[in-house]
Amino acid sequence: MSMKKNYVVETIRKAQMMDMLEKGKRLDGRALDEPRKLTIETGIIQKANGSARVSLGNSQVIAGVKIATGVPFPDTPDKGLLVVNAEILPLASPYAEPGPPSEEAIELARVVDRGIRESEMVDLTKLCLVEGKSVVTTFVDCNIMNVDGNLFDATSYAVVAALRTSKMKKYKVEGDKAVSTDEVVPVPIERTPISVTMARLGGAVIVDPDAEEEAMMDMRITITTDDDGNICASQKGEASTISPELVLKAADTSIQVGRAIRSQMVEATR
Amino acid sequence: METEKKLMDEDGNRLDGRKWNQLRPIRLEVGVVKNADGSAHIEWGKNKITAAVYGPKEVHPKHQVLPDRALLRSRYHMAPFSVDERKNPAPSRREIEISKVIREALEPAVVVEDYPRTAIEVWVEVLQSDGGSRVAGITAASLALADAGINMRDLVVGCSCGLLGEHVVADLDDTEDKEGNGDMPVAIMPTKGLVTLLQVDGIYTRENFQKAFELAIEKGKEVYAMQREALTKRFFSSDLTSGPIEEEAA
Amino acid sequence: MPIVERKQVIPGDVIARGDHRYGPFVEKVGDDYIALRIGLAEVGADGVKLNPLTGPYLPRADDEVIGKVVDMNGFGWVVDINSCFDGFLPASFVFGREFSPATHDLSSKFRVGDIIGARIESFERSRDPQLSIRGQGYGKMDSGELVKISPTKVPRLIGRRGAMINMISERTGCDVRVGQNGVVVVNGQPEATTKAVTAVQMVEKEAHAADLAAKVEQYLGSGGDGN
Repeated sequence: MSMKKNYVVETIRKAQMMDMLEKGKRLDGRALDEPRKLTIETGIIQKANGSARVSLGNSQVIAGVKIATGVPFPDTPDKGLLVVNAEILPLASPYAEPGPPSEEAIELARVVDRGIRESEMVDLTKLCLVEGKSVVTTFVDCNIMNVDGNLFDATSYAVVAALRTSKMKKYKVEGDKAVSTDEVVPVPIERTPISVTMARLGGAVIVDPDAEEEAMMDMRITITTDDDGNICASQKGEASTISPELVLKAADTSIQVGRAIRSQMVEATR
Repeated sequence: METEKKLMDEDGNRLDGRKWNQLRPIRLEVGVVKNADGSAHIEWGKNKITAAVYGPKEVHPKHQVLPDRALLRSRYHMAPFSVDERKNPAPSRREIEISKVIREALEPAVVVEDYPRTAIEVWVEVLQSDGGSRVAGITAASLALADAGINMRDLVVGCSCGLLGEHVVADLDDTEDKEGNGDMPVAIMPTKGLVTLLQVDGIYTRENFQKAFELAIEKGKEVYAMQREALTKRFFSSDLTSGPIEEEAA
Repeated sequence: MPIVERKQVIPGDVIARGDHRYGPFVEKVGDDYIALRIGLAEVGADGVKLNPLTGPYLPRADDEVIGKVVDMNGFGWVVDINSCFDGFLPASFVFGREFSPATHDLSSKFRVGDIIGARIESFERSRDPQLSIRGQGYGKMDSGELVKISPTKVPRLIGRRGAMINMISERTGCDVRVGQNGVVVVNGQPEATTKAVTAVQMVEKEAHAADLAAKVEQYLGSGGDGN
């Protein structure tokens, strides 16, 4: 998949946007630190262990969780596997094309994966069945269904919602083999990481940029926080600089904005 | 026959309680992907499929340009979570073949001559797969093309029939497809009465072949009525459209 | 005013039979006139006509369009005209015949992102449409609110002899420019602009409604300032 960056923002829209930003507002009426409307539906794919459809404004992502058993990595023999993949479907945007994942899609999947993994959202040690031999493998695949900016957060929220509502077979160990039982248990969720992406346009820093704002941003930063306000992952994007002060300010914004989103997430995935 | 007994009881009821000629529940919605020029979502049994159309648009790479008509592109793709065992996201041989037959099922209905030197892209994404996903995909894709406002001679609608033992039945679900004795996906242009897709597997007597084939066409027309309804809902939703309306600019 | 019954059609529907004249989006097969689009069909003095409710913009010579400059090369500007083909505005149409890539700076006239009003100078099936900005009111638009509607609904937005667009413009005090390609630019006081934009979107959403003009009129109210 490749996303050609050929979205040109009209000069008159740019001028309007800059005018508004100076007044602390955005074209769609949002405050600078205000994310778009977030909707979370879960359990939409019955064949998946867990699933969610998340819309952040007009960006839409479907995440599906598939759980099976497999062999652990040699360097983590006592931990289950958790893999996050993302595909920007060609149906999601006039600029997306079919084919192997582009740089953008791979960065997207890795940044989302990092937030989930580093926050220790899922207790992977509980997914070890027979050390060094058999573990639970959890694949979270994300289908980007409509692109309108900030896929990082939309995808991350879809993954978190799908995992929080995932159910898996309970396994028991017979000898050095893991056997599935009829009992169904939730995935061992420990924390709820929330990523918040900010963009810099002109001088202003805004939360949750839409496609038009992304086309004009010169810097992007994603910061993921956990339930206790710890920072667990981050990614700075675009070929420009950021001052240390701004990084710290962005961290504060992420903690604060993340708190409200986390409440909504927990409520929607209870 | 043992499979037959399992898939159909003495009274001719199937595992999910359907009669031999009964369709699974179908739900259609047009205009579901915001960025697309046209789109539709179909739920047919457990199938959940979204189709979107982009175009007519410029052709890249340029050497693929057709001087006298549009280039129709298609992709049928299954989400990794759409099946019981996670599917590798890279396209399989099966998906590549289905992409091709879907394109060839749709193209007769599209007036490609009206859009020379352009591309029309049809993307079919299977979010959850059940029996008959290709005919469900075609049904949704043709709605997406109509929604995009591409000139079409007709819609295209599909339905699959098959065999449970020696019995012809309509619209196989996943289990019937895997454990039954034959599957026959058919797509038609319903107002023209012409067939645009036919694939057959299984062993059919001449009589059963005709019965299954004709049943697929008959059931396709039933699905066509739902396609009409979905388009009406999207485009003529207020009841003010009938009756006289004032003139507009020429 | 001729009043004609309109019929809701989808592709493949038979609109009429027999011997009629017929317009675009209709195909004759044997005796049948077949709809090629979703829309409202009518059979009247002009023959079989289909007003589609959805579809792309296909350029026609002499159409007025509003486009966005998306690229420049030594010889002119590439303009996105909301169609399957990009428009091309040759630099010689702007600088005159003495244009030379060596002496003239294209970006002094239009830059990428600029919105321009233009006319389709020529369009053949084998070449991309050529644009011209000769004539009054064409060229760069420096301000305004952009709205995109389906190009198939432009005739409804303009209305009979401009009735609809004039009403929106007069009642809000805004300048409303409509491109045949479905791009609309509204200029006016902020609140009036919002009102005019909403009215344009209303036409787009309810283009199939029989009492559209009355609905829009009711929304706009009678005030000249849009309040």
